[in-house]
Amino acid sequence: MMLAQIRIMARLELCNLLGINVLRFTKDKRKKKRAVMLSVLWVLLIIMLLFYVGGLSWGLVEIGAGEDVPAYVIAISSMLIFVFGILKAGSIIFRKQGYDMVVSLPVRKGAVVLGRFLRMYTENLLMAALVLLPGIAVYAWQTRPDVSFYLCAFLGIWSVPLLPMTGAVLIGALVTGISSRMRHKSLAASTLTIVFVFAIMYGSSSLTSMEGMESLEIMEELSGMVSDMLGRFYPPAVLLGTAIVNGEIGRCLMYTGLFLSVSAVAAAVVSACFQSISRNLYTTAARHDYQMGDLKADTALISLCRKEFRRYFSSSIYVSNTIIGPLMGCVLSGALLFTGPERVKELLPVPVDLAVIAPFLLAGTFCMMTTAATSVSMEGKEWWLVKSLPLTARVVLDAKILMNLILMLPFYLVSEVFLILALKPGLQDSFWMMVIPAVILLFACVYGIAVNLHFPVLDWENEVSVVKQSASAVLGGMGGAVLALLGGVGACLVPKGYSGGYRAVLCVLLLGTAGLMYRKNNRIDLREL
Amino acid sequence: MLIINHLTKHYKGSSKGVTDLSLHVMPGDICAFIGHNGAGKTTTLKCIAGIHGYDAGELRIGGISLHDDPLACKQMTAYIPDNPDLYEYLTGIQYLNFIADIFKVPAGERKERIQRYGDEFEITESFGDLISSYSHGMKQKLAIISALLHEPRLLVLDEPFVGLDPKASVILKDRMRKLCDGGGAIFFSTHVLEVAEKLCNKVAMIKDGRLIAEGPMEEVVKQGNTLESIFMEVVNDVGAD
Repeated sequence: MMLAQIRIMARLELCNLLGINVLRFTKDKRKKKRAVMLSVLWVLLIIMLLFYVGGLSWGLVEIGAGEDVPAYVIAISSMLIFVFGILKAGSIIFRKQGYDMVVSLPVRKGAVVLGRFLRMYTENLLMAALVLLPGIAVYAWQTRPDVSFYLCAFLGIWSVPLLPMTGAVLIGALVTGISSRMRHKSLAASTLTIVFVFAIMYGSSSLTSMEGMESLEIMEELSGMVSDMLGRFYPPAVLLGTAIVNGEIGRCLMYTGLFLSVSAVAAAVVSACFQSISRNLYTTAARHDYQMGDLKADTALISLCRKEFRRYFSSSIYVSNTIIGPLMGCVLSGALLFTGPERVKELLPVPVDLAVIAPFLLAGTFCMMTTAATSVSMEGKEWWLVKSLPLTARVVLDAKILMNLILMLPFYLVSEVFLILALKPGLQDSFWMMVIPAVILLFACVYGIAVNLHFPVLDWENEVSVVKQSASAVLGGMGGAVLALLGGVGACLVPKGYSGGYRAVLCVLLLGTAGLMYRKNNRIDLREL
Repeated sequence: MLIINHLTKHYKGSSKGVTDLSLHVMPGDICAFIGHNGAGKTTTLKCIAGIHGYDAGELRIGGISLHDDPLACKQMTAYIPDNPDLYEYLTGIQYLNFIADIFKVPAGERKERIQRYGDEFEITESFGDLISSYSHGMKQKLAIISALLHEPRLLVLDEPFVGLDPKASVILKDRMRKLCDGGGAIFFSTHVLEVAEKLCNKVAMIKDGRLIAEGPMEEVVKQGNTLESIFMEVVNDVGAD
């Protein structure tokens, strides 16, 4: 009975995984064309990922740490699943859409939760396979292991997502559970999620730090240290990785069983509190005590911008996925101020002055995920309102860019103060220190809007599919960060005498391109979206 | 007030839509737009509201072409969809203030109108609550108030009585009449033919995207008949052809 219910709920969750069901039955040719374009981009990104992980694995083999490759790729995929999982687990497990319908059905809560668990597991399995397969292939190519290795690796791929996903779901449920009891649920959930992510990042960096070792020593000792580091960072990766390398099928089965048991217990715990958390989450307090006061009139742009801010802070997944980058920018700038540039230069041996590279790094953190890139999609089923109002595309899109820039302003100012105090640059470098992040951020906002107008997702059921899984989030949200990275690499390569010219040309080019994109964006007919 | 000439709108990859639809709604008219599910009512209304583009034909509101000056047309129009998906993260008053800002309603006037309509629809006390806490009927009332806020000359409504309590329905009908008495016009879709017959002076019937009957109510509904019987007759006749 329960199994049949789980199967039905899982089928419901999985039938539209990655939007497949909608694509299968839609008659909208434009939607299908977009999906084909998106699939091509995903394939390109996957190829890049395969080469990246394959290259890393090859590097480990070259330094004599070949035996650690499986554990290494298990640790990477687990970390990705865990961190990304925390950011979305609460929204997937305690999804509002369809909640009333689902709980009114004669279905056990456990079946609903397990259906959603299985959906997360399937997504994570794909991610694990993409990271694990190239590493395992490189290792197999080098060592020519026997068939038991392949059996263990196959088993390992299925079991790798279980533990990190379970951890993420438990933290997601905890965050959602705590925030559901608060008045400002969304803000509380965003804050708690960010605190958890930063705590994990800090914890993992402390566990993997190699205190007192200079870079040359690290390289020499690396092969021996990789295993120790992985053991401290994520012991199950070493246990499972060793079992795979040794082809110990019994051990692999045992670990898989163990991981499954942990997941089952976690699912039972989440199922037990599913309804109470959901009830708290979706019961909105209504006071019915409003008394008319004076109302203030504003321009359409200000009013739209205010609406954008309210939209932004109403969604914990929107906030937690977009604010981590700028927060990181502040933290890193602050760390630079307190540790001093000399220590950073020891750890990060770049061939140019830190004052030249720092603005690019800062811009990179600010543009890790811009709000503009998903701001059109986030309108969702309410998009009809904007289309029916007497508003030009320009003012609608300006409000989205303005909101992103105002949101970044305090982070920008704090980071700039930290950076200038830490690096004490000259007048010219101070100027570029302030201008470059601002220009790249402005470019990233306009570019994000352009991508979102090309890949809008307005018929979404869950914000996760917009903020984390849409083409706009991947291509638009990270565009600025990639550009900042390329700009930084360029700054390292340009001879010192031409550094000022390089930065000036780059800024002019970016502003010019942003201007052209801005004009093109504003010419769009919003009715066509 | 509203002139629709040979409007054609088809969805890509679908045979559904509207074909060669022509219709005039004059100042003072309340025109009911009736048809079965999927006939093309909502598509027509969304084209008028500027939500959908259209493939051919012309739409004029207050003498201005929607194609040439959509903002001027929207400024004198208000649209309420069948299922009002409003900004759930705003409170009722924030939403109304937002709409008033967009339509440039002066601060003093907006306060007076919001208070008046809010009291009429008995929803003022809920203006401080998030829209996400509203029932369907409350959202419908809020959408109606927001539509009336800038005193539009043309009201375009899609199933406006669905979800409203009886008292609110009476108030809405009264408001509709007042708007038309003041020279405005209303074009609305409904499945409640009794309401259409009593409230409207004009009617238009649509089937499979084509207008099949249109005219003053007393001409379409001849003596001894009801709108319901005429509708069934016309729809079946066209179906038989």
